[in-house]
Amino acid sequence: MAGKSVIDDAREVRRATELVELGARLQVLETETKLSRERLLRLYKEVKGKSPPKGLLPFSTDWFVTWMPNIHASLFMSIYSNLIKSSELDDVDAITKAYRLYLEHCGTHDMEVVLSMTRAWRLVKFVDAGMLRRCPCTRCAVRFVMRSDDLANQFVCGLCNVPSRAGKTNAARAEREQRDELVVH
Amino acid sequence: MKTEQLLEEIRDANLTYLLLAQHLIRADKPQALFRLGVSEHVADIIEALSTGQLLKIAGTNMLMCQFRFDDEIVWNLLTSHSEDRSRNMMSGVRAAMLMSDQLAEAA
Repeated sequence: MAGKSVIDDAREVRRATELVELGARLQVLETETKLSRERLLRLYKEVKGKSPPKGLLPFSTDWFVTWMPNIHASLFMSIYSNLIKSSELDDVDAITKAYRLYLEHCGTHDMEVVLSMTRAWRLVKFVDAGMLRRCPCTRCAVRFVMRSDDLANQFVCGLCNVPSRAGKTNAARAEREQRDELVVH
Repeated sequence: MKTEQLLEEIRDANLTYLLLAQHLIRADKPQALFRLGVSEHVADIIEALSTGQLLKIAGTNMLMCQFRFDDEIVWNLLTSHSEDRSRNMMSGVRAAMLMSDQLAEAA
C-alpha cells in the first residue's frame, strides 16, 4: 500500500490493541480500525493468546432495557456523554475511555461487570442510530436508556421502581449464604 | 499560632490538590476533566502552570478546591449506607449518573 502513513498505522494498531484488551470482539475492531482482517486476527491472537470467538454480535436492543443491564448501560451512557460533551474525542476513544471509567466504578463499588466492551460499543451505535435514547425518569430525573419508540412521559426508572425479584439470582443467593455462614462460625 | 497552622494546612492541601490536578491532566486530559469536574479551558490553564506559579497559588489563604455539589440528593446518595448490598449498589450508580450528568450540563 503506497503512501500509507506509518504513524497512522501505528495509531490504528495501538487503538486495536486497546480494544482487544478491553474485550472487544473482532467485528468491533473491523468497524473501528482501518486494519485488514488478517492483521486484526493476528493481533487478536497475539494479545489474547487464542482465536476470537465466532458468531454474530448480539443485535437486539432488548438486552439493554432489562433491569440490571439497563442500570449498567445507563451508567455507561452518562459517563460517555459526559466525555463527549467536555472534550473533543473520536467515538472510539470516547467509548474506550468511558468503558475504563465504568470498569473503575464497578471495581470501587464492588459491582459485577455486566456490560461488556462489545455491548458498550453496540449501545453507542444504537443510540447514534436513534434506536435507543436517554430519557429522564419522571421520579428521580436521572436519565436512563430506553427504546426510542417507548413512551417517555410516564417513564419510571429501574432504580425508583425495583422489580420484586430483582437481584435475586442464584449467584446472589449463594453469596448471601456464604456470608451468613461466616457470621455463624 | 493557630491561624498560622491553619494557613499552613490550607497551603498543603492546595499544593497537593494542584499537583494532583496537573498530574491527572497531563496523563489523560479527557479523563481528568471527568474526574476533576473542570472545563477544558481551566484544565489548559492548570496544565501550563509552572512550579513557581503553583507554589504562589497554593500560598493564599483560600482553598483552591471546592465542594462539587450543592445538591442535597447527591450528598444523601453518597453518604447513605445500608446492610443490603444491592441498595448500596443502586445509590452508588445513581450518584455517579447524577454527578456525570451535572458535570456535562455545566460544561
